[in-house]
Formats: sequence, C-alpha cells, structure tokens
Amino acid sequence: MTDYAALFTSAQEMDEVSRRSFLKLLGASMALAGVDGCTRMPAEKILQYVEQPPEVTPGVASHYATAFSMDGYATGLVVDSHEGRPTKIEGNPLHPASLGASTAQQQASLLQLYDPDRGRRIVQDGRASSWDAWAAEWTPSVARSRVGSRGEGLHLLLEPTSSPTVASLLDKLRGMYPGMGVYFYSPAGPATMPGGASLAQYDLSAADVIVCFDADPLATGPMSLAYARQFADGRRHPATRMNRLYVAEPAYTCTGMAADDRLRCRPAVVQGLLERVYASVSHGGASGAGAVSSGFGDGADAWLTNVLADIESHRGRVVVIAGDRLGPQGQALAAAINGAIGATGSLVWTTPSPLLGAGDAGSNLAKLKEALDANAVSSLVCIGGNAVYRSPGSLRLGDGIRRVAHSTYVGLHADETSQASHWYVPLAHYLESWGDARAYDGTLSVVQPLVQPLFGARQEVEVLSALAGEAAADPFTVVRSNWQSAGHAASDDAWSEVLRKGVLEGSAYPRGASGRSDSVASAVGRTGGPGLRPVEDHPDGIDVIFAADARVHDGRFSNTAWLQELPDPITKLTWGNAGLLSPATARRLGVATGDVVAIERAGGSMRIPVIVSPGHADNVLALSFGYGRAGAESVARGIGANAYEIWPAVGTFVATDATVRSAGAHRQLAITQSHWSMDARDPAQSLSLAEYQRKTPAPARKRQLSLYQPDAPNGVAAQQWAMTIDLGNCIGCSACVVACQAENNIPVVGPDDVRKSREMHWLRIDRYLDGAENDPAVSLQPMLCQQCEKAPCEYVCPVGAATHSADGLNEMVYNRCVGTRFCSNNCPYKVRRFNWFDYNAELAETERMAKNPDVTVRERGVMEKCTFCVQRIREAEISSQVDGRALRGSEVVTACAQACPTRAIVFGSLTDPGSEVVTSRADARAYQVLEELGTEPRVQYLARIRNARAAEEQA
Amino acid sequence: MAQLFPRWANVAARAILLALLCLVVGVPLGLMAWVRSPNVTSLGAPVSQPVPFDHVVHAHDLQINCEYCHATVMRTAQASLPSTQTCMPCHSDTWRKSAAFAPVRVSLARGTPVQWNRVNALPDFVYFNHSIHVAKGVGCETCHGRIDQMHQVRQAQPLTMGWCVSCHRDPTPILRPVDQVTTMGWRPPVSQAVLGKQLLVMNHVKAPTDCTTCHR
Repeated sequence: MTDYAALFTSAQEMDEVSRRSFLKLLGASMALAGVDGCTRMPAEKILQYVEQPPEVTPGVASHYATAFSMDGYATGLVVDSHEGRPTKIEGNPLHPASLGASTAQQQASLLQLYDPDRGRRIVQDGRASSWDAWAAEWTPSVARSRVGSRGEGLHLLLEPTSSPTVASLLDKLRGMYPGMGVYFYSPAGPATMPGGASLAQYDLSAADVIVCFDADPLATGPMSLAYARQFADGRRHPATRMNRLYVAEPAYTCTGMAADDRLRCRPAVVQGLLERVYASVSHGGASGAGAVSSGFGDGADAWLTNVLADIESHRGRVVVIAGDRLGPQGQALAAAINGAIGATGSLVWTTPSPLLGAGDAGSNLAKLKEALDANAVSSLVCIGGNAVYRSPGSLRLGDGIRRVAHSTYVGLHADETSQASHWYVPLAHYLESWGDARAYDGTLSVVQPLVQPLFGARQEVEVLSALAGEAAADPFTVVRSNWQSAGHAASDDAWSEVLRKGVLEGSAYPRGASGRSDSVASAVGRTGGPGLRPVEDHPDGIDVIFAADARVHDGRFSNTAWLQELPDPITKLTWGNAGLLSPATARRLGVATGDVVAIERAGGSMRIPVIVSPGHADNVLALSFGYGRAGAESVARGIGANAYEIWPAVGTFVATDATVRSAGAHRQLAITQSHWSMDARDPAQSLSLAEYQRKTPAPARKRQLSLYQPDAPNGVAAQQWAMTIDLGNCIGCSACVVACQAENNIPVVGPDDVRKSREMHWLRIDRYLDGAENDPAVSLQPMLCQQCEKAPCEYVCPVGAATHSADGLNEMVYNRCVGTRFCSNNCPYKVRRFNWFDYNAELAETERMAKNPDVTVRERGVMEKCTFCVQRIREAEISSQVDGRALRGSEVVTACAQACPTRAIVFGSLTDPGSEVVTSRADARAYQVLEELGTEPRVQYLARIRNARAAEEQA
Repeated sequence: MAQLFPRWANVAARAILLALLCLVVGVPLGLMAWVRSPNVTSLGAPVSQPVPFDHVVHAHDLQINCEYCHATVMRTAQASLPSTQTCMPCHSDTWRKSAAFAPVRVSLARGTPVQWNRVNALPDFVYFNHSIHVAKGVGCETCHGRIDQMHQVRQAQPLTMGWCVSCHRDPTPILRPVDQVTTMGWRPPVSQAVLGKQLLVMNHVKAPTDCTTCHR
C-alpha cells in the first residue's frame, strides 16, 4: 500500500516558510531565472601530456584484466579506464567464475575505490604517523624482542585468501617466526566451515533436475555467475530442453524465486528432508511411485514426493545442493546423495580448496580469540576484514584486541577494528594493488592495478613484506618474482599473456571424485547442522536465521552508496535491513511491515523493523549482516540494525534460542516497490511448460489502427535497435541495475528521497507475487524504457525534448528539457526519472572520477531515462564507419545485458536476421507489456515457464 | 467638470502602448540575436596562448601536416593537442633558448603540461567526434577556417547547433575527397554541386540529425 501522506511531506516542509516570504522568493527566482542561462561559456584550459604514454589515446577507454576477490575466491574482471581513471567494471569472458558477467557488488566496487571516506593517513593512537615509523616498529629486528624467540606472540588475522604470493610471504614470515599464529576470517565465506579442504563443484547445464536445500547457488557464493549461466542454459529454449529447479528454504533467495517447485520450511525441516532423501536413495533407490510421508506436513510431503519421483526418473541427471547453513553435515549428505544417484563425476566433482589454511581448524577466528583471552598475543596485525564489527557480538573481539600491546589494523576504512587497534594503515583497494588470486576451481589470475593508490594507501603485499623486514619492497616485483619462482608464466611473454587474458590458462585444479562420503554416517542424526534444533523441540519458537546481505554482503560494501540504494532482490528494501517474517508469524507477533521487533538471546539483543514477506516460512525470522555499524563511515552511518550482535557463533547461521516480540515502534522503510501484486494486469506473464508446448507462436501481429503518424520522421535507418528480456531466466540478482547506474552516471538520492519515490534507477526489477500468501508464484520483471515506437511521452513534451530517432530510439534531450514532467505522467511503464535536486552537486572530487565521460551528467530539473546505452551504439556506429565496414547489430551490448549472468537480456538490431533478438521474437512466449495500448515497444519479454512436476502430471 | 487628461495624453498613451509592444517583441528578438552574436559564440576573437605558437609558420611555411601534432584526429573523437615531447624533434635545436619557448622548456623539465587556452569549445552535453567527420570528407578548414593564415588561432565558425545542423541536413556543399581533408584552401576541381553529390554516395555519408547523434 502506498503511504500517500509520506509522498507529500515536502508540502509540509513548505509550511515553515511564510506565504509572504514564499512569494518574495518566487518573484526573485522568476526574475533571475532567465539571467541564469545568459552566461558565457567559461574559458577552459587544455592540458596535454608531457610525454604521451603509448597505451593511452585521449578519449578512448582502454581495458585491463584484473581479479576481484570476495571471501578468498577470485572473479576475473575487465576494467575500463579513461586516461588512467577506472570508469566501469565488466566480467572477464575468459574467467571460469565470470564468463563475462559480473555481480552487483563487483560493479559497485568501482565506487568503493573512489570512496572519499577511505582512510587517508597512517595513524598511531590517534596521531598522524608515517609508513617509516610503522615499519620501524614492526620490522623483525624490533618486533622479535616482544613476540618471543619463536614469534609465538605474533598473530596475523587476514581475510580468507587464495593468493600464492600471500602464501609465500606467510611462509617467509613463518621461517622467521615459527610460532606465529595466522588466522583467516570472514563471516559469510565458506572458509568459516571446518574441514573445507575440498570443494564441491557442479555442472548445472547438464542437469535435468536441480534440488537445492537452503542453497542459493545462482546468486551467492564464488561461482554464482557460472552456475546462473549454466542454470539458464538448461532452460533457454524450453521447447527443446527445460530443467526443473526444486528449492526448500526458510526465506526467499534468488534461487528460490527462480524455483519451479519451492517449499517454505524451517531450517530443521530442510535438514530433515535432506536426510529423508538420503535415506530413500541410499536404500536401493527412491520410491518412485506413490506419495511419501515426510512427517513435516502436507506441503513437505508433496514436495518430497515430487523430488523423489524426479530423482528416480532422471537418474544421473539430478544434482543435489546443500547450503552453507546446513553445515558440513549437510554438505556430506548432499555429496552422499549425489554419489548414490549417479551425479558424481559428471555433474558433481570436487577440487582442492584454493584457500590458505582450508580445513585447518587452527586458523579459525576462535583460536585467535583463545589466544587473546590467554593474553598470549603481544603483537597483532589485522589486514582487512573489519573483524571487530563482523564477528559475533558475544565474542567481544574488540575488547580482546584493545588489550594487545602492539596492534595494527590495515583496512580500506578507519572503522571499528581500527578504533580497537593502536596503529591504522590505509589498505589499497584491489584496483590499486598488485596481487594474485585463485578462482573457486583453482584458476589463477593476476590482480593488476588500474591506478596508483589514491589516498597513499598500502597494498597487502607491501604490508606483509614490511613485516618480513622489507618495507621498501615493490609489490609488482614481489608478485612477479613469486610467479617466476613458482614456475607460473616464467617468461615475460607468458606473463604478458596472463596480464592480457586475466587468467593463467590450464591452472584450474584437476577434478577429483566427490569426497566426504566417509563422514555421512556420523552426519545423519537428529541434530543436523550447527545450531539446528528439531522442530518438535520448540514448535512455536522462532528460528532466527542469518545470512550475508544481498547488497552490502557482510558489511564490506556498507559505505558504497550504489549498493545501499540498490533494492533488495526479495523485499525491494533500500538503505537498511529488516527482519523478514511470514504473514502468519507477523500476525501472531502483532506486527506489520515497518514495525520494530526486539530480539533477545542469551548472547545479546537487537531491535529491527520487520517486513512481512509472503512465501516466508512460519516461525522464522531472517536477518542479514552488514548494517547497523557503530563505527560507520558517512554513507553507512545510522543505517539498519546490526545482526552480528545476536549472531550465536561463527559458522552457525541459525539461532533457535531467541525470543522475538513487538517493540511497539514503527519505522518508515525505504522500499521502492509498494505494490507486490499485479492486480490482474499481468505485465509479467508466465505459463506452465505444458501450456507452452500446446501454444503456437502468435501470428504476426496485426498493427493496430493508430491516429499517430505512420513512420519515423527521419526515414528508416540501417539498424533498428531492440531488446528481448527472458523472464524465465531473470533471477533478480540486480547486477543489471548497478551496471546501468555505473554506465549512465545515475545519481544516488538517499533514503529520504527513496521514501518519496524519487529513486533514479533507469532499470528497476519489479517483483510480483500472485496466488496464496503462503505459497505465491513469484514473477520478476526488469523494467526499463520500452523504447516505444509510438511513444506516449514524445507527444506531450512541450519543448521537443522527447524525440524519436531513425534507428528506433526514444531519445531524451537533456539540454532541451525544462522539467514539465508531462512525459513521465504520460508514460504507462513509469520508467522516466526526474532530477528533483542536483544530486551530483555534493559529490567528492574522487567520486566525480567514477563518472562515465561518454554520458552527460544531468542537472536539477531534467528528466532522464534508459537510452539503450546510446553512447555505446553511437561509438560502435562511428568506429565501424571509420573502419569502412558494416555494423552488425550484435556488436553493441548494453550495460545491463553485459552484466547479466544468465544472459536473460538480449540486445541487437531487428535488421540483423538470425540474431538472437530477432529469433526470440518468433517464440510463442514473446509478448509486449501493455500491448493493448498500442505503444509498440521495442522491448519484448519472453514469458516465464514454470516447470513444476505437478503441472506436468495434470497435463 | 474639467477634463482630467490633457489632449496630449492620447498621444502619450498610444506611444506607451507602442513602446510596450516594441519591448515585448524586441527584447526576446534582441536576446535571440545576442546569443548568436560573436560576443557569445566567441567567433573570430584571436586567443592568446602561453607559447606564441604560430600556425602560419608550421602549417603554411613548413607545410607540416595537421596530423603531425593533432595525431588522433583520424581515429578518435578528439583531435587532441600534442604532448610536449612532440615539439622536441625540431625544437631541441631551434628556438630552444628563446624566452617565448620557456613554457615548453619548463613543461619538459618539470613534467607539468603547458596550459593551452581552448579556442573551440562545445558545451559538455555535446559529443562531437572528429574521426567520423574526417572519414567522411569534412575538411579541417571547413570548421576551423584557414588555420594556415592565423598567427593566433581564432574560432572560425559560430559552432552553434543551427550551424551544425545546417550541414547535417545537406552536407554536399562542404564534402571533399577524403585525401584532401587536411589541405588548406582546397578548391573543387569540378562543380561542388556535382562533386558533393558523388562524394555523398561514394563515402556513404549519412549525417544523421537524430538528437542522440550529438546529445547522449
């Protein structure tokens, strides 16, 4: 429901000004309005290079391959650089964890590079210091005196890493300090799981049936981009091949929204179902016929029956995936099931973990905590990770670190951890650093810098070298010589090739058989994964579940405004987190969306507003990490609530001992989509596979009678740009939204303006829920300017700022726009955005550097909207013309299509026969949104196919 | 009752009405004329530079091709200004010690750029691309004038949108063979009306007038 009162708060704000003074101001601004335009263009200087770098051509972007690491695993990227200034991030098509796509966080890491809140100077106990002073205190000859003869007083806390260079530097340090403690920690990474020395990998493209137990392989984790692509490949052409996705989960994930058959259930039920599947397949096969009783209710029975029947009928082509929340036991069960149903080897295999210290319980955060409590730490160096904030509140890690006599925090920002440490050294961003990292499958990449450290920050390699006594080490030399000594890309040619391609070819680990089945026997038990408690023990108790946030992850991106303003894929919430409750549980607690609940556990308490989420499991409260930071920087300050406060323990993502009650307060959440129902208008269509197979492609659409002019005024151009979006393959990950924001200089408006519906995203992903509130059908629909051939916006613009181009683009001319907003009023798709304020006026100098120089930065009072990335179209046209060749429509890729992991967005020219955008229009699934209006949009959608087994049987 | 207004009041009233009409019509017209005047478009005013670089010497007397310094004009949006190093092959010897050459010496010694003053400026919302114009046979001279006769470079054309669009609507009067784009003072060997039409077809000249051709 829209809160109309909130939309008109600006009118109340006006009351503070008296009518007389308002009229005075009005008169004055009228008088001065004209004068504003009568300025001469300012005199400009042109600064040329003193010595032209051969690789730089002014005005032309160069592209460099590098790698982004999260929780230790690398994803290969290609970064655009304009005159040495990184401006856009894309996926590296040659990298196995990217395949050319990128996530929202990878896109937004560009803005993180330019974050003006990043640490700018080295600080010792609140006083500015210097690198030399820091290095002098930590050089081995000095440090040795306080860390003991074997160095047992020295402890290092790093983020999980797969870097061979870091490994060799740590080996070097171990040579000097054999007793040194090294720990790897990130809250959401698989590294927190003990025994993770081998990792399961899947080939989802070959699977007919995918069964996920509280797992989100399509949108979280180091291989999500690859898995999403594989999943989509299995259903890209449903007429010939269509996989089926089963998901059992407590709270919606992107994978759950994409599921054909989804069961909402409590975490312990997920574990129970997994065990029942294991019991069934391990005893000579699933009982294919007849209904199965799960003991968890009718819904679970039906779900389990379908899963077992499909496992039986698709043997060898079924993959079972268990999520991190189920713990190592759940992983072992899934591995055993995959072995029993013949998936192992072809669809599932394992590789050694590339992470340092994987499977070594001695490198867990808990061990550091033990050492801190025993006062055995005389010197502590934390590099990245902000562990004080990102660890369970009950651990009181900050207090432990404060007691350490010599402590250093090396981080992007001066944050909670730096406040607990004596020294703070700014850490260089990955776009400023030399390094290396392995992907989930072991593929080795070089991290190469795009720019010198902006704020004089120090690289991880530099810090570790300094600890080894080489404070002046050159990071490039360290990395290069390490590769040489390891025999990777030893020759300069091979090294250049690695830098150019972004991957060392053939460096993926060999595939092993699926491991861990040995531990299955011990894994099957009533208790299940960490923190799980059988439902019958507390039928009305509330399970609180924890997960990294879909936007700011574990909090590392909390100061990145693009991600703060990115609507959550599930709830469309921006600027904050919320506790998710099912409608029934919310009624029981007497709360509604926006009402604050108090959550209390033995270890801590917190208050957080809730969102009532249809399709959510009853008696489950879902929380996300990354908000409510006590020592936050300016963007993150005061945003959301801190779920770490009540997080029971590292590696445990369920708390069953919490009490939840209404706190009697209400907050107005900044949610971008207030209507979740389509109200029978059906913009996002879907149909079952059987319906689709019966359906014949619609006959060539007869043009509707129209009063509008028959043809484009400029005649018809060689290219006719168009887009097709496959709703069956949109998983809601929102990478396209941030990619669009980065490419098109879209401003961030802040939480207050989002509440007034003033967000500026040119591309939004609408989420609709149809059917029963407990088991709704989810529809996701990326909605952007439909580039109507008969555009309603164009006819109402009084100044001709909305025009039509010969190649079918609905153009927006900023310099003509006077801001009447008639166009937005007349747009049936509501995709036009108005600059209520000059959102770019207060950007820091560094943030301006992130702007794309090929796109105008819009001013206050100007309307804007999706342009189909016209700057990319025109650039491709010009370069093909200069080269004297014909342009192929498929040469142009819009930012959203380029980022999309599932390739759900296809762009091209309708005059390019055989191209995907043309063939997709012949599909029986193709339709136009609000076709009855006769706007003839150039964006077409392919209806989502729901491939539930139940529908198949009915058919 | 005596008359409230004298007789001349009629004339005055008419004159005032006329003056108001002139004001209403004249002020907008005047403003429209003013924004097109050289005062606003910076047309024709020579721009002084920190180094008295003389195009007459370089482009006319020495016949150095435009591309020697404006090296990216054929390939990219910007013609670009030469790096300081570009001057040095000749000027490591010539004029090396003169005071006029000091900014170049300083630039080279300190690694700081020479601060040239922009002559041809377009608003930030205009995306002009040199390479496509050159590739289609629009000569340097067409927009920049007889650079080889300018001691101090000045803006030769108004660079208003109307001026741009006039060519985009009909480029035939200004098209020349692509190998003649850098020639100064080029004259068509046959009638421009005939040649322009030929070149339009031969070079696949489109000259689109879509708004997004320049505004993105």
